[in-house]
Amino acid sequence: MVFTSSIPARTSVARRAGRSGTPRWVLIGTEVLVPIVLLALWWVASANSTNAFFPPLQVILERLVQLVQTPAFLVDVGSSVGNLLLSFVLASVIGVLLGAALGLVRPLAWFVEPTIHFFRAIPPVALVPIFVSLIGFGNETRIISITLAALFPVLISTMDGIRGTEPTLAMVSRVYRIGWFDRLVSVTLPAASPRILSGMQVSLITAFVVMIASEMLGSSTGLGAATLLAQQSFAIADMWVGILVLGVIGYATTAVFTLFRRRVLRWYLASQQQEKNA
Amino acid sequence: MRVPLLRTGAGAAGAVAALGAWQLAATAGPLADSPLPSAADSIGRLAGLFATPELWRALGDTVVMAVAGLLLATVVGVLLGVGIGTSPLAMHATRVPLEFLKPIPPIVILPVVVLVLGPTMAMGVFLVFFGCFVAIAVQSAAGVFDTDPVARATGRSYGMGRGEILTRIVLPSALPYIGTAIRVAAPTSLIVAVVAGLLGGGPGLGQSLLLAQISGDQAQLFAYVLALGILGLLVQGLSQWGERRLLHWHPQYRKEAR
Amino acid sequence: MTSDTLRDAPVRLSVRGLAKSYDTKRGSVPVIADLTFDVRVGEIACIVGPSGIGKTTLLKCLTGLQSISSGQALIDGRPIDGPPEEMALVFQEYTRSLMPWLTVEKNVRLPLNHLRLPAAEREERIRGALAAVGLAGAESKYPWQLSGGMQQRVAIARAIAYRPEVLVMDEPFASVDAQTRFELEDLCLRIREQFGMTIVVVTHDIDEAVYLSDRVIVLGERPARVTEIIDVDFGGARDQLTTRAVPEFAELRSEVFELIRKAG
Repeated sequence: MVFTSSIPARTSVARRAGRSGTPRWVLIGTEVLVPIVLLALWWVASANSTNAFFPPLQVILERLVQLVQTPAFLVDVGSSVGNLLLSFVLASVIGVLLGAALGLVRPLAWFVEPTIHFFRAIPPVALVPIFVSLIGFGNETRIISITLAALFPVLISTMDGIRGTEPTLAMVSRVYRIGWFDRLVSVTLPAASPRILSGMQVSLITAFVVMIASEMLGSSTGLGAATLLAQQSFAIADMWVGILVLGVIGYATTAVFTLFRRRVLRWYLASQQQEKNA
Repeated sequence: MRVPLLRTGAGAAGAVAALGAWQLAATAGPLADSPLPSAADSIGRLAGLFATPELWRALGDTVVMAVAGLLLATVVGVLLGVGIGTSPLAMHATRVPLEFLKPIPPIVILPVVVLVLGPTMAMGVFLVFFGCFVAIAVQSAAGVFDTDPVARATGRSYGMGRGEILTRIVLPSALPYIGTAIRVAAPTSLIVAVVAGLLGGGPGLGQSLLLAQISGDQAQLFAYVLALGILGLLVQGLSQWGERRLLHWHPQYRKEAR
Repeated sequence: MTSDTLRDAPVRLSVRGLAKSYDTKRGSVPVIADLTFDVRVGEIACIVGPSGIGKTTLLKCLTGLQSISSGQALIDGRPIDGPPEEMALVFQEYTRSLMPWLTVEKNVRLPLNHLRLPAAEREERIRGALAAVGLAGAESKYPWQLSGGMQQRVAIARAIAYRPEVLVMDEPFASVDAQTRFELEDLCLRIREQFGMTIVVVTHDIDEAVYLSDRVIVLGERPARVTEIIDVDFGGARDQLTTRAVPEFAELRSEVFELIRKAG
């Protein structure tokens, strides 16, 4: 399992430094065993559960298998994931373009920055009732709310990233009279890409939250709506299935994005590493 | 001297222009027939709301849920993080569960939390806690782990005990990490507190938003959103100021702050 | 190329009464008071002086990155008021002047894109430049995979491929080890021979200045003035061992050293 946490990287450092007295195989064994033990514990502890809110894991998983075979469930999942991805891509493209424009044209940024920061300060889920009230409960409402909420983190990080570009690189571009297009595509945007991708990561999580919120708030399609409906109609196993699947979607999208980020920022991570060792 | 002034002026002009565009769109533009309330109506309503106890009660509930949840998350997160950071075994044991929980926002577990705790403050506090503690724990662990080994060795050579090394050397050096984690978590706590009201039926500004939307009172809805924006700015400003205030002495923070 | 033909060559870079001051909150701070010197076609000129004297500022003025407060800098008789196309600059901080996201080859290629060269010539220039700095075979590596000296070679290759008439370098070998530094100095002499470039080097290393130069320009005082211009007549072919061993080398070295010490 690969992930961008400060911990795994340092764990390997610690292993190399031999700081722990514990043998390596014990550590790795623990890492693999703990999740298995936790799942087993859940299974065993809930096996004879009579608590209505916490049905046996076995029941939940059986329900999952049943639901996966129903078209309605698949439509819900498809709608949720589709909205999430579409809105995230839209927000990323618009955010990078707008952010680049604001990062490059200083007076323009002065003009709109306070307004942008105000918008960013509004909790993103609060945008959902606004669009519901303006355009109703349709799918456009969901896409617009998610896109707009996810727009600000990318936009602001792109703007900051472009402004923080290494001044030497700007001078190199000037001395070699590199054309504006080359400068944007080969110098400015790559230089800002670590910041841009961090912003996109925040945008992705925001998009995920707003996707669920937009479905829970009076919509009838989507996994969020289905999960809330199950809760309200006391279909507890269905609710748990919804929670598990939403959790997996959240985890998986982040994991895929992390892999993408690693790939794109290979140069950055490697040069950071080199700087650290130097 | 002149540039900052120009900058502030431009920013103010931009804000006024945005409000003007909103006003124009709502009254004269193609959206005139839509339910979009005008800027003047919304701001007027907001001003009116400030005079009502409802707004302040909702605001108080939201802030209490956010702060209580954040405090709880800080206490649990730091304790857990310090534990994880000092023991490689604990770090490996908790890695997979924490990495799995990290990208999962509290809205995912909202249905079950509402089921168990009901539409109450406690539900809101728990959601905020869930939304903040993983990040704080992971950052604290990283901070403890990054303690300069030389400083530790120095402490040991001066005959400090484990507890003393922890409180005198390890915790202070982990403080910037913890401070940053809390600063990042503060806006999250506000968002989650709103989610708890909006979707979980809990008290606070989220509920006010929902009621305004259901009753179709557009100006009221926009007024609450504006209020949330102001609150959001305050929280951001306050947490940044607090972090700077508490940690200005720290060399690592000074470096990061640049 | 002998020293005599160099002395008769036309002036490529001419600095006439150049002054530069920065505007700060507390008013105007002069950095360069009055500089006048010439660099002829095919010459290597080194600019030396105590640290903080404004050498880097001078280079930024020469390359058009900064405006000049008064006086003039001319290239082939034309005033410099922006980066001139016949000039290239090698920065001191090689780690920051290369694009870490581009391979060695693409780093060299980037400035050539806008020159609208025939494809064959462009490829030949890239290949030739990389070969000249001894980086043939490293085309697809990334800068961060290379040592400091190698990275600086990439920066030099980028400049060579651009085929400037004037190559300006800002303490180009300051942060590489001694062995690499000698190699890069000889590389510098070689590219002058090979491409006939005029080269201006800012350095704080007196030995380097004497070894490389046809002309050492010593700066002194604050704000900076030209203290002395010293001609070095070792000709085009120099050698790290023999050139540094001739008595004139030691004499020139002490002369420059004395000038800088007095200036500091």
